[in-house]
Amino acid sequence: MSKSNTLGFGLGLRSEYYHQILEQRPAVDWFEIISENYMVGGGKALYFLDAIKDRYPLVMHGVSLSIGGQHAIDSDYLRQLKALADRVQPRWISDHLCWSRGNAHHLHDLLPQPFTQESLLHVAGRVRLVQDVLQRPLVLENVSAYLQWTTSSMSEAQFLAELSNLTGCELLLDVNNVYVSSRNQGFDAWQFIMALPHERIRQIHLAGHSDYGQYLIDTHDQPIADPVWALYAKTLSYLGPTATLIERDDLFPPLDELLAELEKARTVAAGVFKRAAPCA
Amino acid sequence: MRLSALQTALEAYLLTGNSEASPELLDQIHGSAALPAAQGLMIYHNAYRTRLLSVLREDYPALHRWLGDEPFEQLALAFIAAWPSSHFSLRWLGEKLPKFVSSYVVEPQLTPLLELTELEWAFTLAFDAPDAQPLSLDEMSRFADEDWTSLTVRLHPSVNWLRLQRNTLEIWKAVKAQAEIPESTPLQTPLECLVWRCDLACHYRTLAQPEAEALRLMASGKSFPDLCTTLFDEHGEQAPLLAATWLKQWVSEGLLLRN
Repeated sequence: MSKSNTLGFGLGLRSEYYHQILEQRPAVDWFEIISENYMVGGGKALYFLDAIKDRYPLVMHGVSLSIGGQHAIDSDYLRQLKALADRVQPRWISDHLCWSRGNAHHLHDLLPQPFTQESLLHVAGRVRLVQDVLQRPLVLENVSAYLQWTTSSMSEAQFLAELSNLTGCELLLDVNNVYVSSRNQGFDAWQFIMALPHERIRQIHLAGHSDYGQYLIDTHDQPIADPVWALYAKTLSYLGPTATLIERDDLFPPLDELLAELEKARTVAAGVFKRAAPCA
Repeated sequence: MRLSALQTALEAYLLTGNSEASPELLDQIHGSAALPAAQGLMIYHNAYRTRLLSVLREDYPALHRWLGDEPFEQLALAFIAAWPSSHFSLRWLGEKLPKFVSSYVVEPQLTPLLELTELEWAFTLAFDAPDAQPLSLDEMSRFADEDWTSLTVRLHPSVNWLRLQRNTLEIWKAVKAQAEIPESTPLQTPLECLVWRCDLACHYRTLAQPEAEALRLMASGKSFPDLCTTLFDEHGEQAPLLAATWLKQWVSEGLLLRN
């Protein structure tokens, strides 16, 4: 995967900012949409999607694929995802390494996968199927986790590396999720990132979390925390320029605040690459 | 434990109202010093309910305010427990709440609650119903004579038609305006109410019975001359004018598609 095709610095597209985006054309390199929000018949969401896709590159990010679930892949969901991709022409399509649907019901959460050989082969088969339908590599994100299965025989990073090796899928590295899980589960965040196949990392996510003292919850309703910025800078020094996206899903601030965070990401990246540049 | 057994166990834990995990499930989980297994599980248990309740509060804001926090939460949790989500998108979570209310609530609360949930869900349906180009006044102004004689229409896909037995619309309006909510009372005659989307915004309007019957006739596929003929019995020579007036209103409101 060539790093030269990085999209730069993007924001999650949320309805709260539709009008401002069209009126002010903010300096955002690209937007990431939540795919499910646009799997509707019509109305406001699709109107603004069409208007914004003519002005900015878009990426699709789903939350319902449930790639790790035991249930059959939802063919209706996949059909709608493909139809949306045909409409949006996204630069890539991502979802999460998790399961969100049980045997009988949708659970609407990014639930942790056991990292076993059985689970790996199960997920790999489903990734191949999805990639065949979408006709492109799927990009999968590491989730924030609040538990680890005792049956796991490898780390999440090893699992993602193996999965990418088996299927050609790419990775969305959520630096905040790595930090949240590392604090909750007591592992080394940097070791996690080092264990990923860096050439497969298509995109980075940054977001805020809530600190409950003993543990953290990935709430996406706060500014990005300082330790996450530090981990991001270290990650960039390892990966090189990588498409970076800031997610905010609640307690929406004025758009200017998110643009300031995006500017901070640019500054962090510029600082990293300036240091890394060879002397003249 | 195999993948399917682990997922079945966690699904069962999340769906039950009891946040205390079974020893069998706890055995499958590594806790940490920061987050013991039981506490980690509880985060997922709480998040499941919090997320679904939040969606129902957004879909049913008037019902929420009318009932108050605790009774709404009680109803919503009973609904989630009885009919967990069956669609990948949370947008459809609240679809069956009116049906659930029918089975869960008894009179005299049933009719007012049911009407309010149906009214609120109609707005959700209208909000993102399929797009379609409505017949416009501009298009109508260019009609030739034969266009008028053959004109048939259907309702825009976003149109939801409700028949209210009570002052539910007044309750809904009071909630939206954050005004004092009136008591629910029966109406002398049922009220026809349309909820639809036009130019990206949701609208609602009540119709007097004659207009409702006329619109129903046109929406059933009858032609404009059929409407004039039907109105003639009661309105005589004024029938074409009345039909044209109503048609112009429906078209200006974006209610109709031309067949």
